Amino acid sequence: MSEIESTQTQTHQSTASQPSQTTNGESDEQLREAWTDHAFDGDTKLAVDGLDVHYGDDHALKDVSMEIPERSVTALIGPSGCGKSTFLRCLNRMNDRIPSARVDGSVRLDGSELYQEGVDLVELRKRVGMVFQSPNPFPKSIRDNISYGPRKHGDIDTGLIARMIGRSDERQERQLVEQSLRQAALWDEVRDRLDDNALGLSGGQQQRLCIARALATDPEVLLMDEPASALDPIATSKIEELIHELSREYTVVIVTHNMQQAERISDQTAVFLTGGKLVEYGDTEQIFDDPRSQRVDDYISGKFG
Amino acid sequence: MATFGVGSRLGYVDTNPDRSAGLVAAVAAGIPWAVICGGAASELLGFGTVLAIVAGLLTGCLVSAATAFSREDIGSTVPLGALSIVTGLVFLTSVLGPEWVWSLGWEQPASLTAEFVIPIGTLLNAMFAGWAASKAYGGFGARGRHVGAYVLVYLNALSIVAFLFVLVAFTVVRGVPGLLNGAEFGLGVGPATTIELAGFGFTFVWPFSVPFVMNGVALLNDFQGVLPAIVGTIWLVVGAVLFAVPLGIGAAIFLTEYAEQGPFTQAVEIATNGLWSTPSIVFGLFGFAFLIPRFGNSKSLLAGMLTLGFMLLPLVLITSREAMISVPDEYRDASAALGVSKWQTIRSVVLPAALPGVVTGVILGVGRIAGETAPILLTMAGGTFVPGSQTADVIGGFGFVASPPFVTNPELLQATSALPYQLFALITAGVGLGDNVANPDEFRWATALVLLVVVLSFYAVGIATRYYFRRKLSYE
Ligand SMILES: Nc1ncnc2c1ncn2[C@@H]1O[C@H](COP(=O)(O)OP(=O)(O)OP(=O)(O)O)[C@@H](O)[C@H]1O
Ligand SMILES: [Mg+2]
Repeated sequence: MSEIESTQTQTHQSTASQPSQTTNGESDEQLREAWTDHAFDGDTKLAVDGLDVHYGDDHALKDVSMEIPERSVTALIGPSGCGKSTFLRCLNRMNDRIPSARVDGSVRLDGSELYQEGVDLVELRKRVGMVFQSPNPFPKSIRDNISYGPRKHGDIDTGLIARMIGRSDERQERQLVEQSLRQAALWDEVRDRLDDNALGLSGGQQQRLCIARALATDPEVLLMDEPASALDPIATSKIEELIHELSREYTVVIVTHNMQQAERISDQTAVFLTGGKLVEYGDTEQIFDDPRSQRVDDYISGKFG
Repeated sequence: MATFGVGSRLGYVDTNPDRSAGLVAAVAAGIPWAVICGGAASELLGFGTVLAIVAGLLTGCLVSAATAFSREDIGSTVPLGALSIVTGLVFLTSVLGPEWVWSLGWEQPASLTAEFVIPIGTLLNAMFAGWAASKAYGGFGARGRHVGAYVLVYLNALSIVAFLFVLVAFTVVRGVPGLLNGAEFGLGVGPATTIELAGFGFTFVWPFSVPFVMNGVALLNDFQGVLPAIVGTIWLVVGAVLFAVPLGIGAAIFLTEYAEQGPFTQAVEIATNGLWSTPSIVFGLFGFAFLIPRFGNSKSLLAGMLTLGFMLLPLVLITSREAMISVPDEYRDASAALGVSKWQTIRSVVLPAALPGVVTGVILGVGRIAGETAPILLTMAGGTFVPGSQTADVIGGFGFVASPPFVTNPELLQATSALPYQLFALITAGVGLGDNVANPDEFRWATALVLLVVVLSFYAVGIATRYYFRRKLSYE
């Protein structure tokens, strides 16, 4: 950080410490400094700096910088098409898989840069798991969907050779499947048909299956793109409970269109607005009770977006 | 039917017709009328060719116009109904009797006989009548057309099945006598098979004996058979599949998952499509000129396998590639997001999802190569009659040696026969078969039947495999 910036920051901090002076309608720079200098609880897990994403000529994310603390829930909210999913995909480099996408800037996981030569993407995605916006189970049995990740990672082996030498991990597999499905509040519905094809599940069930599948690989960071969009209130509250539970050990980043949900479950909230800009980021309470930006205030109270 | 149409027009029957029967019906009604009137003009009224054509066209246009411009209930029933009545009368009054022949008067003595015209005419009439009747049944209008189209499509599908059935039935009926020539059923009549198990030899006697499929040809045989050709065909197909399927799938994986999509992949695609359209005799020549000199300069089973394998390769490649492209990217993304490497994703997600498509390709390809004659003629030989000693014992032929290439199999390098080639040889050999086979015609048909059965068995195996993989992928 240059010297000028740090002086500015200090000035800003002094104003920020006096809530009475906080006016809606601060400039974007002032807002950004507010969160870049804010000390969130916990060590930084993911540090995003100057992130820009283009899809061809389409500038989808503009200069996003934020730090995501460890063992917490960070909610991303904003109107449709503002780049939340795009941002989420930057955190495990899934954007690399979209040919037209170009990512500039830096993302650091535990201090080490993700966007540099020689990063092992397979290793990275083991550490940073993801639940997609639209459910995408494999055309395999429910059981195989859950155990797919651990099997391919070599954590579980129920193959022919393992069975022949008596090293089959069938018991572990059963436990893992049950545990993951219980966590995702799906166990009771599917316990009797684990061998059925997962494509036969309902949309909401598939969504929970995908959550369970991501949990089974035991990632450090879990990225969830609207994981409760197709769920009834009961399943939703179970998933919210799960997310809360997970945040004791994992770092969770969740995209949601449901303000109340963001308010209920998250520790930090980031508000993206149309044009791919991160407008405000801070502790959830502050964002919802006392947003600095007029636009965020409007968005949250439903006047815009 | 025509009465129904008129009744509807006059308001006796409750229907809801459109204003016109439409273009399709107009054309469909016009063409047969044009043909009939043209024919009648030239045959009965003695018009010249040009006049007859003009007369036919005129009537056709008239009928079309009448169909198109009258209300639908009249338009779609009366012209077709009248057509049925006229043809019925023509056949009944023996204007076209069983003896009737229409010499087309071209340079070749081509002619249309009543044997051909009457069934075709009847079939066409039935189709038209069925169509019009089902339209009437549906009360014309949108619903009537729907019913009409449904009946047409249904008839079409039915005729395909019927045709296949006739073909198979024909071959079976002609082939069974030859096949069962000298066959015996009952305990202990068949050949004995000995199975060695842990030092004990179990001898098992088959409860039937069908010499046609159990013998080769030899002077002393009571009944001659085509066993070497059956075994040859089976090994040919197995060898070609073993060669082409792994190569084809491997290439498809490379092209779909790894290679940069661009001019190179496009060139490969065009080349494969071209290869698939290449005539089989060209493949045969390739095998003859390129493979045979490399395998001891004699025609051999191995050369045949490889030639057919090369023929099968492009189709396997094309269908596997299509199948892999149609596997949704979501599966690949989901797998990648779980931290699974690309190769493992291909193996455990992409390939299983693509397998039914791949199997379909292999089925189609095997259907083609199993019936090939030309490449076998050039690479594998055999003859009109193949002695039983030429039955390839591929499994038993494997021997191991201490020096490279470590595995030898003289059976693979031996000339043998295959069913389609033997059939071809039998037919071209003409009548001079009497010494060996009592009834050559029966022998040929029986060979054809066996070929059909062998190919259909491969087909059945393929369908079963595909069904198995599909079931695993879907969720009923
Ligand atoms: N694969 C892609 N190719 C091209 N453009 C894309 C692609 N994915 C997203 N975009 C564009 O990037 C912008 C942001 O999309 P993104 O999916 O990140 O929005 P989002 O905030 O997740 O919206 P939603 O709430 O509807 O899911 C959109 O304008 C979209 O058109
Ligand atoms: Mg999205």
